[in-house]
Order: sequence, then structure tokens, then C-alpha cells
Amino acid sequence: MSDLAIDIEHLKKRYGRFVALGGVSLQVPKGVVFGLLGPNGAGKSTLVKSLLTIVRPTECRGEMLGERIGHRRTLGRIGYLPEHARFPDYLTGRQIIGFSGGLAKVPSRQVRERTDRLLKTVGMDEWADRKNGTYSKGMRQRVGLAQALINEPDIVFLDEPTDGVDPAGRVEIRKLIEAMREEGRTVFVNSHLLGEVEQVADQVAIMAKGSIVKQGTIKELTQVENRYEVTTLGPVPTQVREKLTAEGMEVGGDTIRLVCDDALGVQPVIDLLRSEGAAIRGLKEVRSSLEEVFMEAVNRQGEDPR
Amino acid sequence: MSQFVAIFIDALRLLRAKALFWVTLGISCFAAVLYLSIGFDAEGVTILFGLSSFENEMIRADSPFAEMFYLGIFSVLIVNIWLSWIAIILAMVTCAPVFPSFMEEGASGTVLSKPVGRLKLFLFKYLTGLLFAFLQTGLFCLIVFLALRLRVGTWNPTVFWAVPLIVLMFSYLWAVMVTVGIRTRSVMASILIALLVWFSAWISRTAEEYAWMGAEMGEVPAGAGTVRLSEEEQQSWKDRYPMMSLPYKLLPKTTDTVNLLQRYIKVQGDEEFSLVQLIGIMAGDGPEPDEEVEAAMKRHSPAFIIGTSLAFELVILSFGAWIFVRRDF
Repeated sequence: MSDLAIDIEHLKKRYGRFVALGGVSLQVPKGVVFGLLGPNGAGKSTLVKSLLTIVRPTECRGEMLGERIGHRRTLGRIGYLPEHARFPDYLTGRQIIGFSGGLAKVPSRQVRERTDRLLKTVGMDEWADRKNGTYSKGMRQRVGLAQALINEPDIVFLDEPTDGVDPAGRVEIRKLIEAMREEGRTVFVNSHLLGEVEQVADQVAIMAKGSIVKQGTIKELTQVENRYEVTTLGPVPTQVREKLTAEGMEVGGDTIRLVCDDALGVQPVIDLLRSEGAAIRGLKEVRSSLEEVFMEAVNRQGEDPR
Repeated sequence: MSQFVAIFIDALRLLRAKALFWVTLGISCFAAVLYLSIGFDAEGVTILFGLSSFENEMIRADSPFAEMFYLGIFSVLIVNIWLSWIAIILAMVTCAPVFPSFMEEGASGTVLSKPVGRLKLFLFKYLTGLLFAFLQTGLFCLIVFLALRLRVGTWNPTVFWAVPLIVLMFSYLWAVMVTVGIRTRSVMASILIALLVWFSAWISRTAEEYAWMGAEMGEVPAGAGTVRLSEEEQQSWKDRYPMMSLPYKLLPKTTDTVNLLQRYIKVQGDEEFSLVQLIGIMAGDGPEPDEEVEAAMKRHSPAFIIGTSLAFELVILSFGAWIFVRRDF
């Protein structure tokens, strides 16, 4: 059995001449929180909607939970909170969750049991019987999360789950996502908020202009190039600077920046400094921030026409 | 819980939340109570629970025509004016947003991502849209059924024919509204186009009736009466009839579907209700029905009326379903 919850081999979506998704390939392992990052209009929502049959892909090859993408029955094992989710104002929170359970073919008794539990989990038990029209944005998102979990899904898709939610609400949603992971669910989070994703995601993909630009763990993405910084006590001696600069390293003031496969590559620099009598004040591995990686990836993709 | 039950319960909640549903239900109950206030005494007909009375030799208490009169008011006045006209318009206004609001951003995603096929979802939503007409007519007919027992002394279950016939008539227009609503996502467009189809159906029926009279009876309506045609003129109408009746054949028979009620309700057990006979009785012409007029009113079979209307509905609905199934949300 595959360890992948989602395995997209090729997914393309065109609206007339406009290519919304240009042959996306993406793998999401089971039981992780997966963050799909991208600027507005990158195609994140279209990708999720294509997986959930809300949008009909132009070309699609791949599997979700071991079945072909679009397999109707498999959708019973999926939970989904759409971006700007709108539930009818005439329904109460409890009724929204119940309606979702009914559509997912969850037996009535289980719906009742799970609804109470989920309302408590998302902190909406006190307002469960009030109409959706009276809820704040944060309360609606919480109910939205609860309805996404009524069928105890294997994969939960959350499209911009913290959009419009206050900071306290965001923390709670983050905790809920972590709880879902602890329960063994795969959580697929769509977001343009890097900080949010960085805090919770195990794996990340960056999307721009309808294509996946980068994919991996946050550690992998922020460590694409192994960069090291060596700092000396006082300025780097002139003869060392000249030699290192000639070898392509960046030397400025008391700092030497070099790119190498691992820490072993730094040893000759240390040896050189010591042989010249320079005292080493520090040595560290330098990582790019996710934001830097994101901006670089998006900008690079921005240079290519879609 | 089955998916249909979930959608059905949701539709009930939607109706319950609509003020127009309660307004229509209130007016229906008021109309039903007004109907109940009609009674009979030894002299004739009483209204408003005996506040006012009208003498009539044939329609009075214990008269065999009292039930026919009572059913006539139901099938001609109440069903034709209230249930199949005003109540239908209110039902259209109430139900019109069902599909367009479902298709708004953020509303459809949670439903479409569930293991329910699009066609199934479309049909479920379409069927639950008929609930409005069903509940309104059903409640009304129940009151009429009890009123008949109270006023005439008979249990007459044939009045319940009004329920499927009114729902059927509403379904023709509802199919148009659903399809236009899906295509345009506009509530206003779906109401206006459904009204246009309804009006066209009515015009086409009038044109067909006119042409049929000219072709088959050799006379055409003119002012309050009719004008006899020469043989040549009649032949000319016969030649024109196929073309003039074509829109009628293609469009839904809204009026004729509701008028089928007059064929299905029975008087005094198993006697057929006759509107022509009732008009004769009320005009003092006696209880003998005019066979020629009777035959003219029944010239189209129920199979033709319902069959061709359902064919129209099927075509429109199939187009709507096709768009719904293929659409990106």
C-alpha cells in the first residue's frame, strides 16, 4: 500500500486559453501537515478543487488514497473547508455539521455523537444552536472546520483556514491542525500566509503561476544550498581574504561566507585561518528563511510567462 | 442519514426560514377558511358562515348539485386563481434563489466535495424545490377535504388530485427556473424567463383554441359571442391549424394540466364533475350538460397534455443538468 495520501502525476486545468494549472505533479505523504504556498492567483484553490471534483480538470492522472482522482466514493474519506466558506444563514452550527454528515453518508446516530464532540473541540458548543447568520467570521471558520471532520476523514483540505480570523483564533486553528495530525490525518493547508504554514507544516510546496516550483520539508527548502559563515576575532587577515576570494568565497570584515556540501568543506578554511593566527569567533550553518525561498521561487517563476 | 434526507431536511429548513412561505401558507389557510364558510340552507347558498345568503332552486341543502357547486368553487375559483396562479408566483419567488445561491463562491464546495454525484445532487435539489408547491397545495386540499365533509356530508378524496396536478404544473416552470438559474446564476433572470414561458404557454393555448374552433366548429370568438364561418374560411382555418397549434404542442400545458382536475374529481361517489353542467345549473338552464362544449373541453387527452408537457420539462431539465454536471464551481 502506498505511503502517499495524494499522488498527482499530471494535473492540468485550462479555462479557454488561460492555463490555471500547467501540468502539476505533487506527492503528499500520509499523516503529515502539508502546506501549499503561493501568492493569490497561483492556482492553489484550483488544484484543491480539482482533487475534490469541484472543478473538472482538463487532464488528470494520479491517485488519492489509493484510488484515481475523482473517484466518488473516496470523497467520503475527505474533509474540506473551502476558502470564503459560506453556509446558509438559516442553519445553526449544529445543523451545518449534521447536513455535512448526511451528505457524507455518516449514520444519523454517529452524526449526533460526533457533532457534540466536534462542537466542543472547536469551542462552539455554547453557540451550537444559534443561527449561522449571527456568527462572527472566526465562529464560522470553527464550524467550517467541524463540518470538515464529521466523517472522520483521512485527508482534510483547508483552503486559507485562517483568512479573516483574529490572532487568537489563528492560534486555535493551528492547534486544531496539530490535533488532526496527531489523530493520524493528512492535513492539506492552502495558504498565502507563510508564517502560518511554517509553524505547522511538515512538508511544503510552493506554487506560482499554475506550477509547483519547489517541494520538500521546510528544512530541505531552507537548506537548498549549504551555506556556512565563519567569523573571526577582528578582520579577516588580508592574505587569507585574497586567497579565499580567489577561490570564490565571499569575505567581508570579520565574516567569511562559503558554500559547500557539508561541514567538512569548512575545515580547510579553519585550517587556513589558524595557520595565519586568526582567532575564530564563530562558525554557523546558514539557512534561508522560508520567506526568502518563497520570494525567490515566485520571482523566478514570474519571469516565465504562463 | 441518507443524502436525500439531508437535502430534504435542508430544503424544509430553507422554506421555514423564508417569510414568503409563511405568508403564502397564511393566505392559503385564509382562503381555505373562506371556502369553509360557504354552506347551504333550504333556500340556497350561504357565505361567511351564514352572514349572507343567495337563493337558488337547484343548489341548496340536500340537493345533489350542492356538492358539484362546492367542488366547482374549489376547482374553478380556488385552484385556478389562487393555487395555480398567485400561489405559484409566490412559490417561484421563494424557490428562485435555490440554485443561484448554491452556486455562489464558497457555498457549493462543501456539498460538491462530498460523495454525491452531481446529477443526483441536481435531481435532489430539483425535487426538493417542488416541496413548496406540494406543502401549500397539500395543506389546502386537506382543509377542503374536511370542509366538504362538514358542508356536504361526503368524504371526497378526489380533491387531492389537485396536489399532483398543481405540483406538476409548477414543475414545468420550476424546470425553466432551475436551468436559467444555473446558466445565468441570476435569480431575477430565472423568474422573468419562467414567467415569459408561462405567458407564452398561455398565449399558445389561446391561439390553438381559437384555431381549433375555426377549423373544427366553423366559428370563431368575436366580442361576447361567436361568428360563423363560411366553408372556405373554415377550410382556411383547417389549413392553418397545424402551424397555429405547434407552439401549443411544444410548450408546457400549464392551464390544461390544472384543468384536468375537473376531469378527475368525482361527485357523489363516481359521477364525473362537469363544469358545463354546473354553469348551466347556475344560469338556470337545468342540469343537462352541453355535450358539444363538454367534448370540446376534453378534446386533448390527459396523456397528451401531461406527456407533451413532461417532454418539454425533460428537455429543459436535461439541458440544466448537463450544464450543472459539467460546470466548474
